[in-house]
Amino acid sequence: MSILAEAFGLVLQPYVLLVILASAAFGMFVGAIPGLTATMATALLVPVTFFMDPVPAIAAIVTATAMAIFAGDIPGTLLRMPGTPASAAYVEDAYRMTRSGRAEEALGASLVFSAIGGIFGTIVLVTAAPVLAEVALKFSSFEYFWLVVLGLSCAIFVSPGSVPRGMISLVIGLFAATIGIDNPAGQPRYTFGSVELLAGVQFIPAMIGLFAVSEVLRSVASGADMPAVEKGGRTGVFSRQWGNLKRYPVQALRGSVTGTAIGALPGAGADIAAWISYAISKKFSRQKEKFGTGHVEGLVEAGASNNGAVSGAWIPALVFGIPGDSITAIVIGVLYIKGLNPGPTIFINQPQLIYAVFIVFFLANIIMLPMGWVAIKAARTILSIPARVLMPIILMFCIVGSFAINNSPFGILLMLIFGVVGFLMEENDIPIAPAILGLVLGPMLEQNFVTSMIKADGSFLAFFERPIAAGLGLFTIAIWCIPLVLAALRRRRRASPAGA
Amino acid sequence: MKFNDLLLGILVLLGGIAIYVSALGFTDIPGQAYGAGTMPRAIAIFAGCLGLFMIAKAAIAGTRMPRLELSGWVRSRRSVLSVVVALVLIVFYIVAAPSIGFVPASLVVMAVLMLTLKTRPLTAIAVSVLACVVIQQAFGRLLLVPLPRSEFLEFLW
Repeated sequence: MSILAEAFGLVLQPYVLLVILASAAFGMFVGAIPGLTATMATALLVPVTFFMDPVPAIAAIVTATAMAIFAGDIPGTLLRMPGTPASAAYVEDAYRMTRSGRAEEALGASLVFSAIGGIFGTIVLVTAAPVLAEVALKFSSFEYFWLVVLGLSCAIFVSPGSVPRGMISLVIGLFAATIGIDNPAGQPRYTFGSVELLAGVQFIPAMIGLFAVSEVLRSVASGADMPAVEKGGRTGVFSRQWGNLKRYPVQALRGSVTGTAIGALPGAGADIAAWISYAISKKFSRQKEKFGTGHVEGLVEAGASNNGAVSGAWIPALVFGIPGDSITAIVIGVLYIKGLNPGPTIFINQPQLIYAVFIVFFLANIIMLPMGWVAIKAARTILSIPARVLMPIILMFCIVGSFAINNSPFGILLMLIFGVVGFLMEENDIPIAPAILGLVLGPMLEQNFVTSMIKADGSFLAFFERPIAAGLGLFTIAIWCIPLVLAALRRRRRASPAGA
Repeated sequence: MKFNDLLLGILVLLGGIAIYVSALGFTDIPGQAYGAGTMPRAIAIFAGCLGLFMIAKAAIAGTRMPRLELSGWVRSRRSVLSVVVALVLIVFYIVAAPSIGFVPASLVVMAVLMLTLKTRPLTAIAVSVLACVVIQQAFGRLLLVPLPRSEFLEFLW
């Protein structure tokens, strides 16, 4: 009990609380700008945390990250430009809700269920950290291979439109991911002599291009005459959320559980969690046909999931010193700088510090509600600006965001290329989301596939020899086969009365 | 430009063949049967199968090869001009910003696009200047992004 009191003493200091507040505002700002990610917010905070004690330093990162992940939903909902990759899974539903005058309901759902997912993830972090981390540690390349294939399969099946067109999008994303020197043989692929392409296609400019620039081009093509959002359709940020929680309690819980579990897996963060949760939500929904048309159910589940993953990612980071995602990879570096070696001994040597981190997680997710409300209200005014004025400004933000990743004009060129590709894809009803996921998960897929093939000496059976890998593999195959079997059965049923 | 399933299937099949052929030149990890070409080959096979599936499906459904189907906006000269101007302005920024600096280049991009979209000149210039200063201060000063500088506008940094 005295340790807990000591931990509260460490956190509830004016300086730490001020840091939490300032980091929350910073996370909101970074997350809300398309192109700036939660990882970028963390990276930008690291130099500032050098001047802080361990608790405020960690508090700054935890708060900014949680806030940035939520804030990524704001431009996604209002402008169809996800602020962070974790918001991309449900951007279509959120944006369509905005188009039908339900922007505040969509953002409120994102906010409330992000906080629920984050708090759930923290509870798991506090109670079950060692057990979950142990399971995740048992994962080998076989399990990771199936996990990636599962994520990619979900991306195809959750996309609006036909499955073959979703696959075309995936092929584009996977092919883009093969560019560069980062491959098993270390040989440059499709770089055409460009030094910048050796590092591969940078994800952020590609995402800005596919989602944001294509939208700007579309708006410009239509004379920047986007239909105005209904001013009278304001539903209130929080007013419908209790109803949503009562309507979708299973989805909220399932999203929180899935997000936390996926976040705890090394390498799999909020992005994958949101995609898988959205797919699960659609799969088990009674209103599957409404997904992608402005339905709140997917937002509830995936919104809870991506913030659950933020907390979940800290489980292996704190318990074993293995980063759960890119953000916790930076955090581990900060912990080492502060003289704190993450691992099981930290729980024994400095338990008050670990409890302080847990308290910070709770505070960050609670403070998200009022801060998020302010951010939503402020961002709402963006929509009152005419598109012919707004679109050029957004284009400028896209240009600067693409430049800021590597401080190189090459990022802007990539953004332009992917913007045109995204524009043409949308013209042909090819969904963009699978391309994004292919680009993100392509390197992980290749690494785990080649490693597994070498380990298995070319035998595909080895992909099913380990129990968890077999489970994940069979589940993935079922996702592909069940729709085919159901379609065949339907055709047979339709044919049989005719034959009778 | 809109393609039907048959044409898209043919394009995907051709793309798959191109990726497969190009991947034949990639080397394997020494002593292994896998390497730089493994993933592109896998993608190519997937694309090839997908292309064949789409062609077969379209053939069974009796889809005829369409002539080039143009989207609505292509028929409007103004819309085409606006899209071309937007693309040219991005290229202009890439080429001009390193030499003339972020502020003048971004001013041109925003003001010209706003004027192309029929915003009133005074509004376009005022909003562009304001947005330009806000972006420069947020990214250049607050987030320390090294935006290209102009000698005569050093005071902004």
